[in-house]
Amino acid sequence: MIKIDNVTKKFGSFTAVNSVSLNIGKGEVFGFIGPNGAGKTTTIRMLATLSLPSEGSLSVGGFDIVKEPREVRRIIGYMPDSFGVYEDLLVWEYLDYFAALYHVDPSRRKRTINDVLELTDLTIKYGSQVMSLSRGMKQRLCLAKTLLHDPEVLLLDEPASGLDPHARIEIRELIRELCRMGKTILVSSHILTELADFCSSIGIIERGEMLAAGRIDEITASLAGNQVIEITVKGDPLAAIAVLEERTDIARATSDGRVVRAEYTGASEDVDVVLEYLVGRGVKLTAFTPASANLEDIFLKITRGAVA
Amino acid sequence: MRGMRAFLVLTGYVLLLSIIVGMIYLVLSKNAPATIVNQAGIILTPVLIYVQMGLICLIAPTFSASAVSFEREQQTFDLLVVSLAKPSTILVGKVGAALSYLLLTLFGSVPLISLTYSMGGVSMGDIAIAYLIMVVQGVTYCSFSFLWSTLIRRSVVSQLVSILTVIVLVAAMPALALFFTALSASFTGAPSNTFVNVTFLLLRTNPFAAVASLIPGFPLPSSVWLRSVPIWVTQVVFYLSLMGLSLYLSLRRLRNTRNWL
Ligand SMILES: Nc1ncnc2c1ncn2[C@@H]1O[C@H](COP(=O)(O)OP(=O)(O)O)[C@@H](O)[C@H]1O
Ligand SMILES: [Mg+2]
Repeated sequence: MIKIDNVTKKFGSFTAVNSVSLNIGKGEVFGFIGPNGAGKTTTIRMLATLSLPSEGSLSVGGFDIVKEPREVRRIIGYMPDSFGVYEDLLVWEYLDYFAALYHVDPSRRKRTINDVLELTDLTIKYGSQVMSLSRGMKQRLCLAKTLLHDPEVLLLDEPASGLDPHARIEIRELIRELCRMGKTILVSSHILTELADFCSSIGIIERGEMLAAGRIDEITASLAGNQVIEITVKGDPLAAIAVLEERTDIARATSDGRVVRAEYTGASEDVDVVLEYLVGRGVKLTAFTPASANLEDIFLKITRGAVA
Repeated sequence: MRGMRAFLVLTGYVLLLSIIVGMIYLVLSKNAPATIVNQAGIILTPVLIYVQMGLICLIAPTFSASAVSFEREQQTFDLLVVSLAKPSTILVGKVGAALSYLLLTLFGSVPLISLTYSMGGVSMGDIAIAYLIMVVQGVTYCSFSFLWSTLIRRSVVSQLVSILTVIVLVAAMPALALFFTALSASFTGAPSNTFVNVTFLLLRTNPFAAVASLIPGFPLPSSVWLRSVPIWVTQVVFYLSLMGLSLYLSLRRLRNTRNWL
């Protein structure tokens, strides 16, 4: 649905995005992660037909952003990282204005506005002044506006930035809902954990370079190295360690009081074999937890690699 | 709120015009001979037109001079550009909004003009021409102010440049022409023919001169270029060309936002 092919964007002599390639399939939720100034906004603005690449090509839904910007605009909903709203309008007037700009049929306009307001939980603000909305509400209003023409692809640039924790959760729930509706979503953030739990794939960008991109499980598999199993034992942890070290697929086992941490090198779906083995050898344990791929660790690993 | 503001601006504008006209009438009726007071329209109508033209010079540029630059400052312009609104729609919407405001104020003065008209001395045709000049003047100023607003990032600067453009157009060019005419006269005793011709050509770009030329007795030397063409015609044509050029350049600018946003 979204294709970025070897795209470079230069501002004068400064390269903000350096030969980035990316492929996002239909219905995917792609987390675009990178620290501030990494080039996320620059990339998204090109996809949103607001700026041109210096090199390479981008397309959305098969439409080239340089040659067919209007077709692209028809199918995307773009939410900028910082945006303004017309403060002197009422909420419904604001949405009505954009509904007109998006050629929403006048007979359907009121319905559409009510629908997006309900989706973004702003129905009670229908007649309020845009000026009077909180930051989180303005963010949701902008998202509501983005949904007016029922776009297939959503480009959300740091939708949760600058919000309090409560508003953050609301935005995340909303994105999850949109994802259930089958939309292809590209959502950026400089905070990894914000996206980890609902993205099907991620891309990590730093200083204009895409360091890793793909499905979360693929990335974890290729980069995580050993999986850590946390085992809480009832008896002597050292005995458990001895048993674990008999196995060739355990690289290392260390204990930290009652909890034994074992680095497992086998395939993650076969981790039950280790459990059976321990039980079979008479080790009493109260918990056996293969640590789920920790994105944070991976993120650090990848970005550290880039610095080194 | 917004409707209220428009109403207040309009009321203030008409009030201001009435006060100016009223004061002049008062002064006239106290000091001028009865023959003039009986034909007060011949003085009051041009005064009313001139005051309005002055206000157009000040107001028209401010209406659309921040159309795009202000939206960029407020970070609302990107959302407008990614919408399905065509550049021509944005142009017509923005300039049209400024214009409707301007036309509203212009038509607000119609009752006053009919009052001064009823005082005699001017023809309905001349008043119609004066209004044509004013409308064209307003449209043109709105147009090039809009162009400035797409070219200049800061709205304060685009407003300033727009007003400066108006000043250059209505004041600086004729002033320059008169200065050179006077200069040539000081060398040769009488202004040379070419200078007089250039002066009158430059006057043909000026809406104030165009209105003045409607008043009987406006001096137009017998040998001056384009003598048979009324000054207001050339002035209106000149302004309309300026408007066309501005709108064309604005549209081009809006069509390739990706080169400057
Ligand atoms: N219009 C611009 N002109 C010059 N430099 C820019 C421009 N836009 C962005 N940059 C630079 O490009 C880099 C990437 O910026 P951006 O894409 O906004 O990062 P992110 O969104 O990941 O925080 C930054 O160093 C920024 O200063
Ligand atoms: Mg950004």
